[in-house]
Amino acid sequence: MSEFRGSARAFREVLARDLRVYLSYRSRLASQALTSVFSLTLFYYVSQLVHVSGFSSPGAYFGFVIVGIALVGVLYSCFSVADTVRQELIAGTFERLVLSPFGPVRSVIAMAVFPLLYAFTMAAFTLAFGWAVFGLQLHWQTVPLAIPAMALALLAFLPFGLAFAALTVVMKQGNVGTSWVIALISIVGGLYFPITLLPEWVQTAAKFQPFTPATEMLRHLLVDSPQATSALVTIAKVALFAAVLLPVSIWALRRAIREGQRRGTIIEY
Amino acid sequence: MSGGASASVRLEAQPPTLAAPRSDSVAGLVSTDAFPLSLEGVHKRWDKNQAPILDGVDLRLDLGTKTWIGGRNGAGKTTLLRIAAGLIDPDRGRVHAWGFGPHDKRSRYHRLVAFLPAGDRGLYARLSVRHQLRFWAAMAMIDHAAREARVEETIDAFDLRELAEQRVDRMSMGQRQRVRIAMTFLPEPETVLLDEPLTSLDSEGAVVLDRAIEGLIDRGGALLWCSPSGDHPEHEFDSDWMLEAGRLVAL
Repeated sequence: MSEFRGSARAFREVLARDLRVYLSYRSRLASQALTSVFSLTLFYYVSQLVHVSGFSSPGAYFGFVIVGIALVGVLYSCFSVADTVRQELIAGTFERLVLSPFGPVRSVIAMAVFPLLYAFTMAAFTLAFGWAVFGLQLHWQTVPLAIPAMALALLAFLPFGLAFAALTVVMKQGNVGTSWVIALISIVGGLYFPITLLPEWVQTAAKFQPFTPATEMLRHLLVDSPQATSALVTIAKVALFAAVLLPVSIWALRRAIREGQRRGTIIEY
Repeated sequence: MSGGASASVRLEAQPPTLAAPRSDSVAGLVSTDAFPLSLEGVHKRWDKNQAPILDGVDLRLDLGTKTWIGGRNGAGKTTLLRIAAGLIDPDRGRVHAWGFGPHDKRSRYHRLVAFLPAGDRGLYARLSVRHQLRFWAAMAMIDHAAREARVEETIDAFDLRELAEQRVDRMSMGQRQRVRIAMTFLPEPETVLLDEPLTSLDSEGAVVLDRAIEGLIDRGGALLWCSPSGDHPEHEFDSDWMLEAGRLVAL
C-alpha cells in the first residue's frame, strides 16, 4: 500500500472517529442549529430596526451580517483543533498518536477536518434558513463558486488553528488566547460591520490577515456585496496567505511536538 | 541473569540473525542485522538539581526473548520505556530497534515497536471497542485490505467479542485494560514494551496477555516488561533486571 493511500485512509478514519464521537452527543446538533436560528432572528430584527449607513436597505445589511455569522462558526471550528489537542493530551490518546506510524502532525491536521466540514454545513444551513425564513437575497449565479472559495478560505484560516494547536502542545492549555483572537478577528475581519468604519490604522493592519479578503470574497459570491478590489486580486490574496501560512504552521506544530519529546513534556497535560 | 537481554559489555557480540520468519506485514521493513531493541548509554535527568533518573543505561533485547525490569516506584522504569518507545528523547545516548532510530525512520520504528503505558489512559471514551481498534489500525497504517480481518482477529484473540459494540466509558477498569493491551498487539509489532500490564486484569485477562506474548515470541519478536520490584510476574523471563540509581543491575 502506498504511503499516500495509507495516509488518506487514516485521514478518513480520523474523520469517521470525530463523526462518531459527535453523534454520541445526541442533542448537540439541535442545540447548535438553534443557536444559529436565534442569532439570525436577532440580527434580522436589528437590521429592520436600525438604519445602517453605507447600506441601501435593511436587507442589504442583513445579507452582509448573515455571511459574517456563518463565517464566525467557521472561525471557531478552525481554532477548535487546539481544544481537541488539549482533550487528547488529557485522555492520553495524544501520546498514542505520537507513537503511531501515521504520526501526530498528520493526526492534528486530520482532526481539523471534521470541525471544518461541520462548520461548512452549519454555514450552509444558516444561509438557507436566512433565505427561506427571512428572505435573504442570495446571488444564485455565483453561489456555487462560494464552495471552492470557502475551501480556499479554510486553507487560509486553518494555519491559525494549527498554530494554536502547537501552542497547546507547549503550554498545555486549550484556550491560549483563542477567544480574544476570534473576537479580534471578528472586528478586523469585518464579520459584523464594514471595516471602513474602523480607524484608518486598524484598516491598514487588517490587510495583513486573510480573514478580511476571504470574508469580502465570500460576501461578493453569496450576496453580491461590492468588492474593494477585483475578485482575482482578492482570491490571489487569500491563496497567498494559505500558501505562506500553512507550511509555517505545520512547521511550528512539528517543532512543538519534537521540543516536547526532547524536553519530555509531551507526556504532560 | 540468563540469556535474552544484554548489558553494554555484550554489545560487541555478533548480532544474531532472525530466529523466526517475520510476518508478511513487516517483512522487508526490518534490518536482519539489528536487535529488537538496543539502548546505549541512555541518560535522562528531569531536574538539573537532582540525580539523573537514568544514568547511562545499556540494554539490548535479543530475538525471541522476554525481559523484565523491576525497581521501586520512581526508579525510572516508565521513563526508560518511554524513551525506548520513542515518546521522549534521552538527554544522551542512542535508541534503536531493528536498525532504526525513533526519529530518523519514525514511521518504520513505530510500526515495529509498540508500547503499553501504565494506567488506564489512551482510549476514546465514547467509541466502542470495535471502532477503537479500527481507528488505531488505521493509525498504524495497517494495509486496508487486511485491516478489518486484523481487527476481528484481535477482538477474538483478546476475548472482546461480547464487548465489541460497547462504549469504553461504560466498561470496567479490567475490561479497559484488556482493550488497551489489544490495541498494543493489534498491529503485530515485533518489539513490545509493557508498563505494568497486569493492572486491573483478572486471571482470564492475564491468560489472554500470556497468549499474545507467546505469539510475539514465537514469531521472533521481543518483550520488555516493567513493573515494581515486588511485583514480578509469574512469567519465566529470559533475563531479569533491577533499575537502581539510574542503572540496570542484573538479577
